[in-house]
Amino acid sequence: MRHHAIAGLLLLGLVLIGLDWQATPPDPYGAPDPLAWGSNQGASGALCSFSPSQ
Amino acid sequence: MVFWFGELILRLVGWIAAVLILGAVAVLVGLRFALILWVGVGLGFTLERLGFGFAGPWRRLIRERDGRGVVAQCWAIGLVAIAIQPMIASSDSLVGAIGPVSLSMAAAALVFGFAMQIVLGCGSGTLVNAGSGNWVALVALPAFCIGSFLGSLWVPRMVASTPHVPVDLGAVFGVSGGLAVTLFGLAVLAICVYRFSTVKGFNRRWMWAATMMAAFAIAHVAIAGQPWGVVYGLGLWVAKVSVALGWDPSVSIFWSAPVNARALSNSVLTDTTSLTSIGLIAGAAFASFKVVKGQPLLPALPGSLYLWIVLAGLALGISSRLAFGCNVGALFSGIASGSLHGWVWLVFGFVGSIYGVRAREQLWAGVRS
Repeated sequence: MRHHAIAGLLLLGLVLIGLDWQATPPDPYGAPDPLAWGSNQGASGALCSFSPSQ
Repeated sequence: MVFWFGELILRLVGWIAAVLILGAVAVLVGLRFALILWVGVGLGFTLERLGFGFAGPWRRLIRERDGRGVVAQCWAIGLVAIAIQPMIASSDSLVGAIGPVSLSMAAAALVFGFAMQIVLGCGSGTLVNAGSGNWVALVALPAFCIGSFLGSLWVPRMVASTPHVPVDLGAVFGVSGGLAVTLFGLAVLAICVYRFSTVKGFNRRWMWAATMMAAFAIAHVAIAGQPWGVVYGLGLWVAKVSVALGWDPSVSIFWSAPVNARALSNSVLTDTTSLTSIGLIAGAAFASFKVVKGQPLLPALPGSLYLWIVLAGLALGISSRLAFGCNVGALFSGIASGSLHGWVWLVFGFVGSIYGVRAREQLWAGVRS
């Protein structure tokens, strides 16, 4: 049933995020400002448009 | 009465769980990352609940000459362009989705347009469909992720082998000139589609969905500092799994670049495109869970068709990396940012879609017989 697949997918996602958390735990104290706009902590730059300058 | 009460409790538990998860991300990872996740959830919920996207409207335009969805897409991109081009120009902390134009980029967009019609899901569409328990998307998504990783390994070679020229319309014509060129292009496109379309008028649901999508995309730029993208995160997930299995990322030019190496060594919950992609899946799941309850998972498809779906998923991932984004990162965010590569993507992606629609009809006709 489709709703079982949805539940399974969400569960798998949580497990994978949990494993990633163990390997590379986030540091909330090093988190950037809530908004990049108006802050000096801007975009991460990790986006789809990899250009020759990168 | 009991059924109604049970439904209410279930819905309440769902909302409380969603708020708790987002609150936990805000406290344990950072408020910016929780807000980005919210944007992703909102996008997924909107696209699924209002039945809007990219591959579907193109397919309807090609098959039925119904251009209302494409006109709504133009409306959304125009709204985002009006907001983000001046925002990006006025702030050093914001960047646009400016990608280079090249022969390989155009060819990759052609392949993406073809493949997205085979699986009936583009970058965002595959995630939303997977989130709603669509079996074809659930099969295509892992292949899409692997393809995105493979594409990231090949993209530096492609960049070195043929000229790649980034063209920022804002830099060429100035901020107002670049925005004017973008809006003029979108208006011309919308008028051409409207005249070609045999179904006149506007679809209010899709226009509303497009407006909501634009609002979320503008919020994404303000929060994350960069436009909405999809495929980077998918490749990152496979790269992280590969590292866990012993792969050395220093052998890859792409993954040893500082910005990508940083993403690889940090939590996936601090990566912008990963968060919006996770949010898209969760939002679509939230929107569709009750609707699809009781529906069968497995469609009656032959094994050979699954091979096509996996190949199309791989092609989606590889081509979107080589085209510097999918329909979201390159077409939607690229055009809205004033990048010429978004327009080139549009032309070649649409031509690929024409052939993709034909190929899908042949494949599915075989299924029916």
